[in-house]
Amino acid sequence: MAKEMVLSGCAASAQAAKMAKVEVICSYPIRPYTALMMELAKMVANGELDAEFIYGEGEHAQLSVVLGASAAGARVLTGSSGVGVTYAFETYSPIAGGRVPVQMMIADRALDPPGDFGSEHTDAMSCRDQGWLMGWAENPQEAFDNCLINYRVGEDHRVLLPQFVCQDGYFVSHIPGKVLLPDQSQVDEFLPPYTLPHPLDPKHPVSHGPQIRPDQGTIMDLQRAQAHLDAPAVIKEAIADFNRIFGRDYSPFVEEYMTDDAEMAFFIMGAHTMTARHAIKHLRSKGVKIGLVKLRFLRPWPTQEVAEALSKFKAVGVVETSTSYGGAMRGGNLLHEVRASLYDLPQRPLTTSFMAGLGGEMVPLKDFYYMAEILSKMIKEGKTKKTVHWVGFEAEA
Amino acid sequence: MASKVKQITVWARGVVQDKEGRDIANGLANAAKKEGKFTQAFDNYVDLPDRVNVPLRKYARISDEEIEERYEYENEKPEVVIVADATLVKGINVLRGMEKGGVLVVNTDRKPEDILKFIPNRDLLKAIVCVDAKGICGEATVDFSGSEGGVDAVGLGAGMAAPILGALVRGTNLVKLENLAAVVKNKEALYKGHEQAVVKTL
Repeated sequence: MAKEMVLSGCAASAQAAKMAKVEVICSYPIRPYTALMMELAKMVANGELDAEFIYGEGEHAQLSVVLGASAAGARVLTGSSGVGVTYAFETYSPIAGGRVPVQMMIADRALDPPGDFGSEHTDAMSCRDQGWLMGWAENPQEAFDNCLINYRVGEDHRVLLPQFVCQDGYFVSHIPGKVLLPDQSQVDEFLPPYTLPHPLDPKHPVSHGPQIRPDQGTIMDLQRAQAHLDAPAVIKEAIADFNRIFGRDYSPFVEEYMTDDAEMAFFIMGAHTMTARHAIKHLRSKGVKIGLVKLRFLRPWPTQEVAEALSKFKAVGVVETSTSYGGAMRGGNLLHEVRASLYDLPQRPLTTSFMAGLGGEMVPLKDFYYMAEILSKMIKEGKTKKTVHWVGFEAEA
Repeated sequence: MASKVKQITVWARGVVQDKEGRDIANGLANAAKKEGKFTQAFDNYVDLPDRVNVPLRKYARISDEEIEERYEYENEKPEVVIVADATLVKGINVLRGMEKGGVLVVNTDRKPEDILKFIPNRDLLKAIVCVDAKGICGEATVDFSGSEGGVDAVGLGAGMAAPILGALVRGTNLVKLENLAAVVKNKEALYKGHEQAVVKTL
């Protein structure tokens, strides 16, 4: 029987890692992800979890330690936040390119300057193109679930990719929410033991990450790209099994809320989806035909699913929560990919983006009402006047 | 934040009362949950990571309906303010944001009149409750197990939080004493706090 608990996202992730029987953990403190390691350290100290717990001397070391451990055949976990995530940047490509399925929990945090410990997706988003699987959790339950789902997908020999398992700092990492802890037998049924096709083993020597000639480089890039093409089928299998074993109702890539007859929608990922649902409920009661589409996997980007989900609307507002300074849309990163996904459709919705939830700001109901107003106006006028709206910093809609 | 959500703010001292402060917020939320309410209890993120004796805030929210803006960082309009260390009232406007008709609960061996002298905006209060929690169960428990987003490994309300919660019931109708008794560890201290609390209606 699943056990209901009230846990923060950090504590939920620690419980998930414990039930996944993680074998090597490497820590280095930074808010807000730190409680993940605090919880795991307690579990190891109390004898509840049989794992090597290693204190890294920095994030670069953390990732290097788990790379070695994972390459030697251990299921591993590390994590970080904000500038910690970017400090380890050098290691992300070797890990993905080496096809070593390390898992890293990111409780996101705004990058400096100035020192800001609030949530923002920019830290992890900056690492999105290195070949890792990646997605955000909306609440502690999803943080728990995503840990298991990502181990299963990333370690699958058809995929073999590391995973950034992200959650919004503070909003998800610190604010406790309801979490159903499954039985160990359910987790064991879902998640097979970790194996690597060619692990580091003194009895069977292999080379990982040697120097190569230029003519050997492209093929490795192609293989890494192919792994992202192969991952969706594995994700679908994993989600189907997860839903069956744990009694959940996840869609693999995009989830829709009140979209049946919607003229417009928010496109969103992570914590603020919760507030957006409440905003939609209230807008609906006033007759506004609005829904939302939530993204569960940013990498691999579900091009077709995004196109299909969004094609039925007249206008889509992308809630960004990250920055792409000087980018094509002048705002965040998501609208670039949303527009690219829609490009080949014969009938495209109008699209714009909303810069919200930056620097740790929450996105209150009234901000979603403001966004809905802009989308209504776009539909009325039949065009997108601006591709980016800095919510709360505009003179008029 | 919709006004139907009742906000309760706890002021405590960093590190030495971190767990106590959190226990007060959690105890209140857990007891209210037993009464079928929607609740939230969480640390003020901005006050953390705490340092020894720095003022810090813990929050509880109680509502008849689902709490929609769970991510509001702070309780902007607390109806009830609980001060776990009386000396905090000297330097801090603990009632900030309170609308007229609120309640203040203070852990102190002094009389309500003595505490009120340090509250310049005391006209906001409809009642003040004083309780000598330290006298009832001794020094604050020092425990680091639940710091910064973690889970408390030791029970809730083993220390000073229990008598303070007991006293709270004397000045408010947020939760019933028996539901607090069901969630706190030191029930004797809870009841003693309830009995020994000094209430002054204003």
